[in-house]
Amino acid sequence: MDRSQLLKGVLDLAVLGVLKDADGYGYDILRRLRAAGLEDVGDASVYGTLRRLYNSGFLTSYVVASEEGPHRKYYSINELGYGELRQSSKVWQDFSSIMDGLLTDHSERRVTL
Amino acid sequence: MNLTDQDEIGNYVEQVRQALGGLPPATREELLEDLPEHLAEVLAEGGGTLVSRLGSPSAYAAELIASAGLATGEAGEGGDARGGLRGRARDLRDRAREATRRADVRVGPLLGYGKASEFLALLRPAWWVLRGYLAAMAFTYVFDDNSAPIGLLPRIGGSGNELIALMVLAVFVLGSIWLGSRTPSKRMPRLLFRAGGAALVLFAVVGFFETDGQARRGDPVQAGYVSEVSRYSDVQDVFVYDDDGNLVRNVQIYDQWGNAIEFGEPGCIDPMTGDWSPARERGYPYCPDQAPFRSGRVAPSPSESAVSPSATVTPHAAPSVANASPSRE
Repeated sequence: MDRSQLLKGVLDLAVLGVLKDADGYGYDILRRLRAAGLEDVGDASVYGTLRRLYNSGFLTSYVVASEEGPHRKYYSINELGYGELRQSSKVWQDFSSIMDGLLTDHSERRVTL
Repeated sequence: MNLTDQDEIGNYVEQVRQALGGLPPATREELLEDLPEHLAEVLAEGGGTLVSRLGSPSAYAAELIASAGLATGEAGEGGDARGGLRGRARDLRDRAREATRRADVRVGPLLGYGKASEFLALLRPAWWVLRGYLAAMAFTYVFDDNSAPIGLLPRIGGSGNELIALMVLAVFVLGSIWLGSRTPSKRMPRLLFRAGGAALVLFAVVGFFETDGQARRGDPVQAGYVSEVSRYSDVQDVFVYDDDGNLVRNVQIYDQWGNAIEFGEPGCIDPMTGDWSPARERGYPYCPDQAPFRSGRVAPSPSESAVSPSATVTPHAAPSVANASPSRE
């Protein structure tokens, strides 16, 4: 199964999930996603997703001056974003429990047969 | 970060920018906003060139477009109710755009241009000037608390000073042109601009009809004195009689402000020959020979009898030649 196809559908949720704990800038969010186990997430996908979530009004952004490098644009999740996160989480949980059920039933029957 | 890193980043960004060439400039710059900083972080980690770490700039651009939901058919994957609604809204917007584009092409040749939008683009500076004028009018209408109807100049303080009105007008028009030449790229100000423009057009339409209505009605305040007098426009001469029914000669007539009231031309038409000759008298009547009523004797001129020139003329007493007023001395 192509993991990157699966990831496409849930990257919004993954990014919102990362941001619910702490604000972050693009590269930082990417690192946190990879640290969580999504090693194959693409750089551009994360930036594109951030931009889309921002344009949809789920994120607010602010610029923080950095001593050693360029100024960083931090994103933080707002009220609307939390609402979206709750809704999407529920969709994901329903979906994954259905998938679990399907797979579990299937494998159990196979085992018993 | 050294100079070669800078160059590599610059090259990569430039190539991504080119690959994003199909997007509107504002969207493209939005997407590229974080890129140099991100590339710097990637390089700082070490472990190869940008291309070996991230893939080709065009692949990067394609991924950016897809994940930002800018490619067609990409954003529909959400699948929830909100996505469906948004999809329908986008569909509607696309159809409206298509209809506008078709109308643009069709109307263009009627105006002598390839597209109507080419012609409208030429009118843009004219709109800036008009917008400045309308903004000035709206400003004085809203913030100047006079109850006077809308005129054609942005007057402050009722009838006000024309010079100030012209200066206000100049400031607004220049401001509008200045704003027009630097269109804001951010989404919010652009929306505000459009909303403001629409409000001004609405104001203009309402104001236009109101002013037109006033012009047709004929404003009584402005017509003033002239229209009051015009009822007597065919009066050629004035005959004043005193209490005894005597014709008063060399009369000067004034209104309450001290303005001379003038009737007819200072001259006489001979009733026999029809010839006009200039009056010999210094005041009314110009032609004492043509008095409508006979008087017993000619009264002394007002200057001799010390009658004030501003004394009110009482017409009811004038024609009483035979019946002298009982109240006289």
